[in-house]
Amino acid sequence: MNTIIKLLQENSNVSNYKINIHRKETCELFYIHGKLETVRRTDNCEKEVTVYVDHDDFKGDAQFFVYPSTTENQIATLISEAVKKANLINNQPYSLPQAETGEYVVSSNFSEYEATDLASMISDAVFSANTIAGASLNSVEIFINKHTETVFNSLGLHKTQTRYDAMVEAIPTFNGAKQSVELYEQYNFAEYEKEIVTAEIAGKLQEVKLRYEAITPDFPLDCKVVLNKQELSELFWNIADDLNYSSVYSHSNLRNKGDFIQEDPIGDKIGITMFGQIIGSIRSSKFDSDGLSLDSIRLVDESKVVNYYGANRYGQYLNETPTGNLRCLSVDPGSAEESAFSAEPTLEIISMSGLQVDLYSDYIGGEIRLAYYHDGNNITPVTGVSISGSLKEVLKDIRLSKTTGIFDGYCGPEKAILEHLKIF
Amino acid sequence: MCFSEFLNSRRSDAKALVGELRKNFQYASILGSDIQSKTIRVDRNTTNISTGRDTECGFVIKLSDGKLIYEYSLDDISGNIPELAQTITDAFQMNAKLMDSAVGNLNLTDEPLVQSFRRPSDLHNYKDDELLRVCIENRDKLLNASQYILNALAVISSYEVSKLFISENRELDQHFVWINGNMIAIYKETEKLVQVYDGVYGDQMTEIISGMPALINKLLRKATILTRAKPVTPGVYDVITDPSITGLIAHEAFGHGVEMDQFVKDRALAKEYVGKYVASPICNMRDGAASVVSAGSYFFDDDGVLAGDTQIIKDGILVTGISDLSSATQLCTAPTGNGRRESSRRKSYARMTNTFFEKGTDKLEDMIASIDHGYMLFETNNGMEDPKNWAIQCVAEYGIEIKDGKLTENYISPVVMSGYVPDLLKSISMISDDFVITGSGMCGKGYKEWVRVSDGGPALKVKVKLG
Repeated sequence: MNTIIKLLQENSNVSNYKINIHRKETCELFYIHGKLETVRRTDNCEKEVTVYVDHDDFKGDAQFFVYPSTTENQIATLISEAVKKANLINNQPYSLPQAETGEYVVSSNFSEYEATDLASMISDAVFSANTIAGASLNSVEIFINKHTETVFNSLGLHKTQTRYDAMVEAIPTFNGAKQSVELYEQYNFAEYEKEIVTAEIAGKLQEVKLRYEAITPDFPLDCKVVLNKQELSELFWNIADDLNYSSVYSHSNLRNKGDFIQEDPIGDKIGITMFGQIIGSIRSSKFDSDGLSLDSIRLVDESKVVNYYGANRYGQYLNETPTGNLRCLSVDPGSAEESAFSAEPTLEIISMSGLQVDLYSDYIGGEIRLAYYHDGNNITPVTGVSISGSLKEVLKDIRLSKTTGIFDGYCGPEKAILEHLKIF
Repeated sequence: MCFSEFLNSRRSDAKALVGELRKNFQYASILGSDIQSKTIRVDRNTTNISTGRDTECGFVIKLSDGKLIYEYSLDDISGNIPELAQTITDAFQMNAKLMDSAVGNLNLTDEPLVQSFRRPSDLHNYKDDELLRVCIENRDKLLNASQYILNALAVISSYEVSKLFISENRELDQHFVWINGNMIAIYKETEKLVQVYDGVYGDQMTEIISGMPALINKLLRKATILTRAKPVTPGVYDVITDPSITGLIAHEAFGHGVEMDQFVKDRALAKEYVGKYVASPICNMRDGAASVVSAGSYFFDDDGVLAGDTQIIKDGILVTGISDLSSATQLCTAPTGNGRRESSRRKSYARMTNTFFEKGTDKLEDMIASIDHGYMLFETNNGMEDPKNWAIQCVAEYGIEIKDGKLTENYISPVVMSGYVPDLLKSISMISDDFVITGSGMCGKGYKEWVRVSDGGPALKVKVKLG
């Protein structure tokens, strides 16, 4: 590192620089039908150098990677080449984050364990979930990741954070006299509790049994639709991405400050706040790749856009305060009690191929792999149907649950009731 | 244009390390990757020359004791080789309970072969300032092409691959290039904002540069269509797919389902249909890194197996799937050269490369004329596989209504196709006599492990649910 800094400082054409270092150590287990097929260990360190050159009232930048094998002479050459590239770039000037130092650990109990021991414990937690006759886990992949991230810049900023995450990809399958069925589960977490992991997988195994029993309805379904937190995450990230500084600066945003994301709402009014960290979320981070500390900002209040958010450069271009690249999104809980989700005929979506949300075309829809049809008295698992509708219409009277949950970078209502969706 | 000096400098270390590791393992191989990618991007207000996200330089060591596969990814293999071999071996000293549950039957083959492969490209004939000028010129032409364009982006991305594979009996190296030239317009003619993109792809920069200006009119037409497009009334329709949507069907509807690691896991319904009709008898489908030259092409895969050209469906009958070394070993079949990694830091899986339906004998105009009421669908947005249960979800950018055998001025967008894969494939009633492969795609397995792929084919006439 000292060599890179020395060479950057020696090159008089370099106005500023930034160095990002990401060391990733992993332990990975791959199971087929409950038997271990592959064990992987990785230990990689990536060093990316960004060179900034101020020229002719513009600011240019260029990047290069430094590997353990890169020699001092090669680094000097890479710096000179980066200077040449940066001189070709005529961007509006902006400043780098000022001197700030810190060493952080994003809270996680993973630090209490050796990676191989934790992988083994998670493996036990996953496989002990399978108590349903006929159900199995045909494929399980377990990833334990430790990230050590450092940002330096030439203005004296120097921050380091350690964070952990784990991912379990499991394929619960149900076999019986009929054609067997499966579901897809990708479960991300940053705190290990055996019971929670087991419960998550057990829930999916129960769902796959219901998919096996599910029918493709031969009767028309004309009812409200209930989305769960995974699909709500997709919906609300689409809305939040539209309000990122880079979207606004590139004119690709649909909504501006002062606009309402719901037209004449008669359901719950939507509130969105962006955060740097949410406890338990794998997207939690203390700072972004520029080294900006990540806090929070209210984005949408009572359905009204009140702020944008985003990284250093585009924030300055828009004369806004850079918030940093906030990667966690929180949605205000709504008014709907649990009983509201099954009090009248509803189609509760459990698993989709992937919710399609298109703000530009005012579309929301997709293919359903498993849903529960609540007719008010009974619950019937259904499959083989799709939903489709106008996003504007859906948002107008969306009702959000009082209870909240976390899915990756989303923290918000566990469920929502949607109207005006065609089920076909 | 030449193979990575860095990998060449590690060739003898790799051989020595394989030799050391073979003392403790039945199989040992090393894949070295040196991938340089670069993106030059301009829009109305900003310019960037950046290191592409595919850039990487590192090694992955693959080992087997016949019971388990072990992989170790690291940045470099130089230095004290016996010490490194011991570090790697020690990394796999794990708790006995884990090791006792090994799958077995993993006697990986290592047939002798020494060969170098090169696919020439003119990439290095062009300097950054020339390519930047090309992007700026195209951006300005696009901005000036319509008063309704709020922003225009022109992007050239290059991807230069050097890979070295060393095992006890094999020494392979390859070098090739792939280049994308893309343009995007943000367009607002009415209250409706639309974003449209298109691209040209190939391994010669000269062709990319000459192809980009033609994208401008295509983008304007597409923007006009999307501005006027309305939602489709959900239902089942006769549909003509353009080559892009044909490729999406080949890829999502069937391609993922014949990745043979899914056969090992009993995750693919296709396993039960080998030798049976799965599609209309006029239907033929292939996949292979050696089938065509496109984004999914290479000379050998990440397991050191030579690239293949696999006939998956012949005359409507499922012939075989595509495999990596591990799945082929477990299934006692020959690997098809489809073992691919997102990077040297990730595991290899059986993956698609260039996947397509073969062309037929029908004229596109006859296919359109055969439809009383339906749609012609254009351009891939995204798709999702379901190999076990053969559900399909494919999203097209837009469609044009067909009425009384003619294309109309009525447009729909977005268009989500869904249904049951065999129903869709068996409904193919006409196949056009033309053929286009689109070489810009990225494909994930589940929601991860992204690799470059292409897909395409002719136009198909199918019956499918739209919504």
